[in-house]
Amino acid sequence: MALTLTCPVCGKRNGYEFRYGGEDKGPRPVEAGLTPAAWCDYVHMNKCTAGVQKEWWCHRDGCGSWFTTWRDTTQNLEVAKPEASK
Amino acid sequence: MFWKSKPLWGNKTRLKSSYDAVIIGGGLHGLATAYYLAKEHGLTDVAIIEKRFIGFGGAGRNTAIVRANQRTQYNVPLYKEALDLWPVLTKELDYNLMFNNCGNLNLMHSEAAMKAARMTIATAQFHGVESHLIDAKQAKELVPALNISEDITFPIHGAMFHPPGGIVRHDAVVWGLAKGAAKHGVDIHQHTEATAIHTEGGKITGVETSRGRIHTPRVLVSAGGYSAGLIYHMLGIKLPIAVLTIQAMVTQPLKPLLDHVVSSGAYHCYANQTLKGEIATGAHMDQWPNYTTQNTAHYIKHQAEALSDWLPCLRGVKFMRIWGGLADMTPDMAPIMDGNDHYEGFYMDCGWGYFGFKSCSAVGKYMAQYMASGHCPDMLKPFNLRRYENHQLMGETAELVSYTPNN
Repeated sequence: MALTLTCPVCGKRNGYEFRYGGEDKGPRPVEAGLTPAAWCDYVHMNKCTAGVQKEWWCHRDGCGSWFTTWRDTTQNLEVAKPEASK
Repeated sequence: MFWKSKPLWGNKTRLKSSYDAVIIGGGLHGLATAYYLAKEHGLTDVAIIEKRFIGFGGAGRNTAIVRANQRTQYNVPLYKEALDLWPVLTKELDYNLMFNNCGNLNLMHSEAAMKAARMTIATAQFHGVESHLIDAKQAKELVPALNISEDITFPIHGAMFHPPGGIVRHDAVVWGLAKGAAKHGVDIHQHTEATAIHTEGGKITGVETSRGRIHTPRVLVSAGGYSAGLIYHMLGIKLPIAVLTIQAMVTQPLKPLLDHVVSSGAYHCYANQTLKGEIATGAHMDQWPNYTTQNTAHYIKHQAEALSDWLPCLRGVKFMRIWGGLADMTPDMAPIMDGNDHYEGFYMDCGWGYFGFKSCSAVGKYMAQYMASGHCPDMLKPFNLRRYENHQLMGETAELVSYTPNN
């Protein structure tokens, strides 16, 4: 379904200009004492939320910025940051 | 007339407070597993819990293509068995599944693609699956409508021809399996939503539904594209899955012109002619996870352009219906079938991407064996979830299918 995203530099643009960068999983885990399971969790595992999630995007065909945004995966609409996570 | 007030799978039944096994998701994998549990393993006290109606999801949205020319030694035998089961199930279920083994033709548009096809063909032939490499002229003989000229975007170098594949009527499989399962005593509860899975001391104890609580020692989640979100939401188990909408469409009905399933990786497009004469076509996936099952103008344009390039006789033909479904993609394009790992009695069958339809018959058989005995059949062992943390991803694709920055 069609999608419009707001790039921090270029503003509202067509979703096909962007590359999806995955669910926001927080910072990269520290390497000291990292287990294969913890690394796998960071690299591969997803929550697959049907609803609002925080995610990474890159404005591939534009300014090239990486940014996070909130999107409702059941509507494909960009949404404001939910109250609970402020 | 032909109207029957009672569906093939019996009248609506009361939701009992306890079952030997509960299957979440009334799609093809759930129905097939229930059918084999009841028929082969005597486990007849089984409930299928379906939020909407059977065949609502991927079961009724796929484009009905079946084939067994996958890439790896683990996948090919599974899909071969699935392919061999269609005629058997047609008889067993006493229901015409309309298996039309018209053969699949995978077009190759470069010498590199021909080389990759040689390897895939060698794997297929090693496992006793018929598959040949043919050149562009031979492809043209099989499908006269094909444009093999040099002046198209991706000129055709040759093709991988896989005669035993083809088309199965997907609705018939849903109804046939539901009929078969119900006949052996399985309860199919439609419009019943699973809301929680209960555990105690590392064991499954029950399922909470919108119609009340069910006590059970075994749960299978086979909810197609909804599985990963549901498993995380209910049990906190994260899966290496990205759920994407995949789009498909059919044209207006035409006179017979395509008697094979023809697909092209470079054009990102496949087409086959249904028994009604429509050209069923698809392949595009949204580039970001979503649960919308909506189509895009972007894709309709892409499909029209691709088809008019390699099947030029379709220029000017109108699309009649468009739709979308969910594909739960894993990084190695292979499914996850696992059980008794996180919780005793918890089984999952997901991550099928767009291969769920072609595999359902064989998977039902083996998942039933798994659930009845508690031991993983050899056929399913390579598909465990732990392969990701053990860095034993399958080589079904040359590189990871990842909807992440690597993509």
